[in-house]
Amino acid sequence: MFLAAFTSSGPREVSLDATLLSRLLQKDVSAFEQLYDRHSRLVYGLVLRILQQASTSEEVVQDVFLQLWRNAAQYDASRGPFVPWLCTMARNRALDQLRLKSERQRRREDQPDDLPSAVVAPDYEKALDEKRRAERVRALMASLSPQQKKAIELAYFEGLSHSEIAATLKEPLGTVKSWIRNGLLRLKEGVQATT
Amino acid sequence: MKNCDQFRELIEAYALGALDPEERAVLEAHLATGCSDCAKAVEEARWLVSQLAYAAPEAAPSDMLKGRLMQTVRAEAQSQARPHVLPAKSAIPFWLWAGVAALLVFSIYSAWNTRHLQDEIRQANDRAAGLLQERQKTQQQLEAAKREAMIMMDPNSVKITAAGNNAQGLQLEAKWNPQWGIVVMGNKIPMPSPHHVLQLWFIPKAPGAKPMPSMMTWPDANGKFVMLVSHPPESMDNIKALAITEEPEGGSAWPTETPRWVGGVS
Repeated sequence: MFLAAFTSSGPREVSLDATLLSRLLQKDVSAFEQLYDRHSRLVYGLVLRILQQASTSEEVVQDVFLQLWRNAAQYDASRGPFVPWLCTMARNRALDQLRLKSERQRRREDQPDDLPSAVVAPDYEKALDEKRRAERVRALMASLSPQQKKAIELAYFEGLSHSEIAATLKEPLGTVKSWIRNGLLRLKEGVQATT
Repeated sequence: MKNCDQFRELIEAYALGALDPEERAVLEAHLATGCSDCAKAVEEARWLVSQLAYAAPEAAPSDMLKGRLMQTVRAEAQSQARPHVLPAKSAIPFWLWAGVAALLVFSIYSAWNTRHLQDEIRQANDRAAGLLQERQKTQQQLEAAKREAMIMMDPNSVKITAAGNNAQGLQLEAKWNPQWGIVVMGNKIPMPSPHHVLQLWFIPKAPGAKPMPSMMTWPDANGKFVMLVSHPPESMDNIKALAITEEPEGGSAWPTETPRWVGGVS
């Protein structure tokens, strides 16, 4: 599992991220800058997709990277790859911001206020560079039914629950649950098939 | 595994954060029992969900964002670097801080004390130099007085008597000793005009020879003065007389008035 965690991105990229993170623990500003240059586009794209507003998105991205700078020690490299962890932190913060903005904020006990827990890559996951990984996920998302894709996007990018998605789409709750579950299982099969 | 089936259906939505509170509570209660299969399934589902980040269109944040971030990070790095230079606060015992403080106070006191001592030494040196100067002056005065006494007492000294043309009537007494020099003493001598002095002249025997200027002096408040010429310019044989005139301050090269006193050297 440990080695698998490190192969969830391209081996060179994981190795470089691991090196940069170890330097980041020593408060190496240059390492932080390199990590920012490597991953800020992905993080900002995700946050912007959730918040749909550039200025607020930049504030969240700034917050995320400052958290990384200040609390890098909380990231346990042995428990999972860096990029999914970073993206999970960015998504959580963006969704918090979205809920504040829409006054639909309510505490979600499964989403801690601070840094997220590690995201462990499965055994079947093999090395892929960031570009190929993005291409694969987008292709798999495109292969889903429009309803499955929409339901998953509402959950992931807007933080809606089953009930909220059902209300938004005006569809039965059970139907929405099936769309999400079946869509995610199909994504999983697609990922397994491409590794 | 059968017991977990009902929970497995919830796991993907749980990782996605889409479960409603009731279902989430049910699943979390099950996970809290330590079901390793379900925990592993949750980990895999979380990883799968994390991959959805790549579904978002990639976009570049502004350069200003990076600028702000780097400014903040550099400032924090610098402020955090300072404590690394010195040992952590807890690593320095109190007695060491007290020692440093005492050393600092002692250094300041030493610097002040050194400066104070330097001032005192300089003042003492000044006083010593003044005393030495005074002593030398006294010694010179003493030697002059001894010399004057020797000139006055020595039988070889020649008394210089006032010549007949002393219209001023100055009370002067002078003696010339071939070895010790000349002493001229005045009593009840009127004070010269402002910015003027009394000047001694040697009048040569040679006809038409120029008078030779010598010492200058002022009488004291009682009208007294003593003039000691330790090394007269000429031998007694070549001098016809001594004369005193009143000259401008600083003296003159040639008498500017008729002598107020003339003493013949016999």
